[in-house]
Amino acid sequence: MTNKSNNGFNTWQKSFEKETKKNFSDAISETDEGINIKPVYTKDDMENFSFVEKYSLPGQWPYTRGPKASMYTNRPWTIRQYAGFSTAEESNEFYKKNLESGQKGLSVAFDLPTHRGYDSDDDLVMGDVGKAGVAIDTVEDMKILFNNIPLDQMSVSMTMNGAVLPVLASFIVAGEEQGVDRSLLSGTIQNDILKEFMVRNTYIYPPEPSMKIVADIIEFTSKEMPKFNSISISGYHMQEAGADNVLELAYTLADGMEYVRAAMSKGLDVDDFAPRLSFFFAIGTDFFMEIAKLRAARTLWAKIMKDFGAKNERSLILRTHCQTSGVSLTEKDPYNNIIRTSYEALSAILGGTQSLHTNSFDEAIALPTDESARIARNTQLILQNETGVTKTVDPLAGSFFVENLTEELSKKAWDIITEIEGLGGMTKAVKAGIPKLKIEESATKKQAKVDSGSRVVVGVNKYKNPKEPSVDVRVIDNNRVRDDQIKKIQAIKESRDTTAVKKALANLTNAAKDETNLLVPCIEAIKLRATVGEVSKALEQVYGRHFAKSLSVSGVYGKHFEGDKEFMKVESKIKEFENVNGRRPRVLVVKMGQDGHDRGAKIVATSFADMGFDVDMGPLFQSPKDVAKDAIENDVHAIGVSTLAAGHKTLVPELMKGLKEIDPKSKIVVFVGGIIPEQDYEFLYENNVSAIFGPGSNIIESAEKVIDLISDNLSKE
Amino acid sequence: MELVDKIIKGERAAIAKAITLVESSKDSDQQISRQLISELIKKPGKSIRVGFSGPPGVGKSTFIESFGSYLVSQNYKLGILAIDPSSQITGGSILGDKTRMVEISKNPNTFIRSTPSRGTLGGISMGTREASIILDAAGYDFIFIETVGVGQSEIVASNLVDIFTLIVGPGSGDELQGIKKGITEYADIFIVNKNDGELKMEASKTAADYKSALSYYKKLDELEKQVLLVSAIEQTGMEDVIKTINQIIDQNKLKGIFDERRADQLEYWIEEEVKNIIASDITNRLTSKGNIPKYSEKVMKNEMSMYEAVETITKDTLKQ
Ligand code: B12
Ligand SMILES: Nc1nc2c(ncn2[C@@H]2O[C@H](COP(=O)(O)OP(=O)(O)OP(=O)(O)O)[C@@H](O)[C@H]2O)c(=O)[nH]1
Ligand SMILES: [Mg+2]
Repeated sequence: MTNKSNNGFNTWQKSFEKETKKNFSDAISETDEGINIKPVYTKDDMENFSFVEKYSLPGQWPYTRGPKASMYTNRPWTIRQYAGFSTAEESNEFYKKNLESGQKGLSVAFDLPTHRGYDSDDDLVMGDVGKAGVAIDTVEDMKILFNNIPLDQMSVSMTMNGAVLPVLASFIVAGEEQGVDRSLLSGTIQNDILKEFMVRNTYIYPPEPSMKIVADIIEFTSKEMPKFNSISISGYHMQEAGADNVLELAYTLADGMEYVRAAMSKGLDVDDFAPRLSFFFAIGTDFFMEIAKLRAARTLWAKIMKDFGAKNERSLILRTHCQTSGVSLTEKDPYNNIIRTSYEALSAILGGTQSLHTNSFDEAIALPTDESARIARNTQLILQNETGVTKTVDPLAGSFFVENLTEELSKKAWDIITEIEGLGGMTKAVKAGIPKLKIEESATKKQAKVDSGSRVVVGVNKYKNPKEPSVDVRVIDNNRVRDDQIKKIQAIKESRDTTAVKKALANLTNAAKDETNLLVPCIEAIKLRATVGEVSKALEQVYGRHFAKSLSVSGVYGKHFEGDKEFMKVESKIKEFENVNGRRPRVLVVKMGQDGHDRGAKIVATSFADMGFDVDMGPLFQSPKDVAKDAIENDVHAIGVSTLAAGHKTLVPELMKGLKEIDPKSKIVVFVGGIIPEQDYEFLYENNVSAIFGPGSNIIESAEKVIDLISDNLSKE
Repeated sequence: MELVDKIIKGERAAIAKAITLVESSKDSDQQISRQLISELIKKPGKSIRVGFSGPPGVGKSTFIESFGSYLVSQNYKLGILAIDPSSQITGGSILGDKTRMVEISKNPNTFIRSTPSRGTLGGISMGTREASIILDAAGYDFIFIETVGVGQSEIVASNLVDIFTLIVGPGSGDELQGIKKGITEYADIFIVNKNDGELKMEASKTAADYKSALSYYKKLDELEKQVLLVSAIEQTGMEDVIKTINQIIDQNKLKGIFDERRADQLEYWIEEEVKNIIASDITNRLTSKGNIPKYSEKVMKNEMSMYEAVETITKDTLKQ
């Protein structure tokens, strides 16, 4: 530091301290990532970088400033809205309307049965068909989905991981039957299984065979589908599950390294497939941090790929899709979400994303309506057409703050990556459950901050709207969708060549026993009209189905509330309860059906335990009948159903029935948490649900209500 | 008692309520519980009680899921008491065992109950013995008790079962020195889990280490202790486990060891109950008389020695 600038800074610091009546050091705040944010940055903060190269240019090593030289000045990012619901017919209509209104690429959201490799007629998926995405059972559905959408012109992204083989096969066959050769198909298949085991929970097979499938797809597409991205290495879901930005960044890149190794182990040269690896990040509310994250991701990936021996420049370049954060959006005062999403979108753009999804304001209520989807899309159209942000590439380059933040994030992420590599890579770490636990810990901390009010969420824990607006919701009649799908499956099963299908499925099963690329026999089976469920089962015969063993964090929530009055009040209520009843209040927290959103359930479970409840944690994917057995055998006082994928109107009544079947006099209190549109409250109460805790519920308040309800119920006996 | 009939009929809710009663810390519940257990003991079933203990994370729950699935597929009825170690001292517990017993928990021929250990000695919770009596009366063929093996727990747990099994992981052979003689007296079967994939070699080696160590400690008149290799994840070795269990049970019955053990366990139980009653009686007296604070103050003030205080208090407390 030269004396002159030192003097300048000292003067500034004095003024700052005088204005704020604070020491400079007290004005430094810590982010969730553990990064210290200073009230001012100077050119001294641009020194001693080991990752960021200060004066690099866009499209040049280390690609911090963007994958291309021209970026949006030549072509703006692709507006790619993630959507899908009900039947292929209805989703197809929705897509076509969106494309007419300015959307540029498609992104398919499949329903949970499809994700998990079950056909719509499977008993296990009763409540889930068409609810949280579109139901695809056969290639016929896939063809309907893209009816009048020319697949040689439209780039299609598909979020599919568990049932990736039959679904990609159906897409390829649908293209072929539309007259489009597979080499002309463009788009992306998510095909990122590691983050499924961590946070997204739509895995089917155990980690090892799942990794083999990933590599098969990379191999196949690298040879036969040159315009198709073989994988979308996703951090998005991690942040949505509660990861801070460093965790998101580190785990995503570490996953990427694992996929590179898996592909190379098939004998592929790194440059044969690396240019077709793509990424996916979430963009949350921490405006500058998110920008820095995208810049850091590109910087680190270039370094990583160079170390892998990549020679082709395109192998070094990280291209990414982004989605604004759904979890930052609230059920309360929902129009605020339009504003949040706009800022997040701007962040993604300033970070240099290649495509973007912006969420609808009804995110925390249900799937978007036509109207809310239009506003979400327009958020991007306005950015592209009215704000001028497309005119300059990486406009924040040279900002002392942003460059420093980029470096800080890179450093922190690199430390974690090095640690994971030291442990033997991400597959091992995932199998041991470490990343999942770290993310849950981070999620629990965030919840504690919101519940204690130390983090403000407008409309939720501060500045509440006294007159909550009521909004329209998209309603999906899953029974109708299911009936429709079952009819279609039946018709196909009647008209297809059953012997040929059986033979193709047997072939597939055999192929799974050796090193054959599974996509090839899969395409054969799908062509013959084997269903997604049949194909998945053919592989399950060899691989088995994976059940996750869930670990739980403990003490993280409680620690945040040491000495807190409200918290202690619940604790003492529980002690009193124990004195009166001879045991602590015991609550079974469950997830039913194929809904894999476990963030809320896990947080509630650990927080309740910290307050003194005995909490039974059910596994994912339980049937209502299994939950009833579990609840009764453990003689719990209450069941807390956490439901986010809209299966509640089917699953909750089934649970009530299940309880009465085992114990007609069952007095177990049932309450429900998660995504419940207001319109459904009445229905649930009529089905004897005692309380409903929607998004944004304060957990300490919820706990108090639960214990009061349990006590009331016991005193009635 | 109405509850007794319902338990004997195998009604799930009744069994569950009864276990709550025996686990309850409330006096009135304990009284009913005693009545209940006295009744049930008169109507014993035919259960074989098997204990599974072992260090955290060795795969006990996964093994029970695997082995249990095998047993229910052979039409056995299976009761499981999982003592969950995840309790904390201040807060409540998260009972996550069932996330590892997904398949068997669905089966109508199983009854699975998790109990927080609450940091009690040996990880055995209050009421585990009584709970197994309830399941026995309810007609379960096997009762499994899962406990974490730390310190004393093997000894306490082995006192509740007919066969006691120690589950260990590959590589644990190195710790054999630490296991010492004691455990061989308590465990009837040693299971080396995780005999799969990369761990196979290590698992075989561990099994061999155990075998040689065990033969070293073997008493003359004793049966050879069995060391079995299994993989809970790949479900291998399960037939061996049931075969070995049946063998040991048959032999023990033949030699009278089976009944002898149960008699010993009854003695131990009675002794424990008596001690408990006396201990709580003494505690009550101590608190009501307030001698401890009174005399420690005297010790503090150097008015008497610490041992004089102890003697005085003891005499005063035991005085009728
Ligand atoms: C995070 C998230 C994800 C993460 C989940 C990570 C994880 N492991 O949980 C990821 C990105 C993986 C994901 C994926 C999907 N998601 Co999502 N997701 C969300 C999101 C943005 C936030 C949910 C959340 O975790 N909130 C934070 C937690 C703490 O809050 P919470 O669960 O609501 O819990 C609070 C209360 O509800 C209550 N509570 C909840 N449970 C319980 C239980 C008890 C006992 C008690 C007392 C209280 C209680 O207390 C908690 C604390 O306040 C919501 C939208 C939203 N803003 O809510 C969509 C949302 C739930 N997702 C949706 C969909 C469709 C999906 C997908 C199915 C998309 C697809 N087709 O592929 C996938 C599949 C996931 C799967 N396997 O099921 C839809 C569901 C639509 C519907 N219900 O009609 C939503 C509503 C978004 C939308 N509007 O489209 N998702
Ligand atoms: N490779 C391998 N891993 C196993 C096997 N059995 C269990 N595991 C793994 O070991 C870990 C612990 O398994 P659990 O069944 O929860 O172990 P536990 O002994 O019941 O653990 P606690 O109840 O916490 O003491 C999990 O990650 C299992 O997947 C096995 O046979 N082979
Ligand atoms: Mg266990």
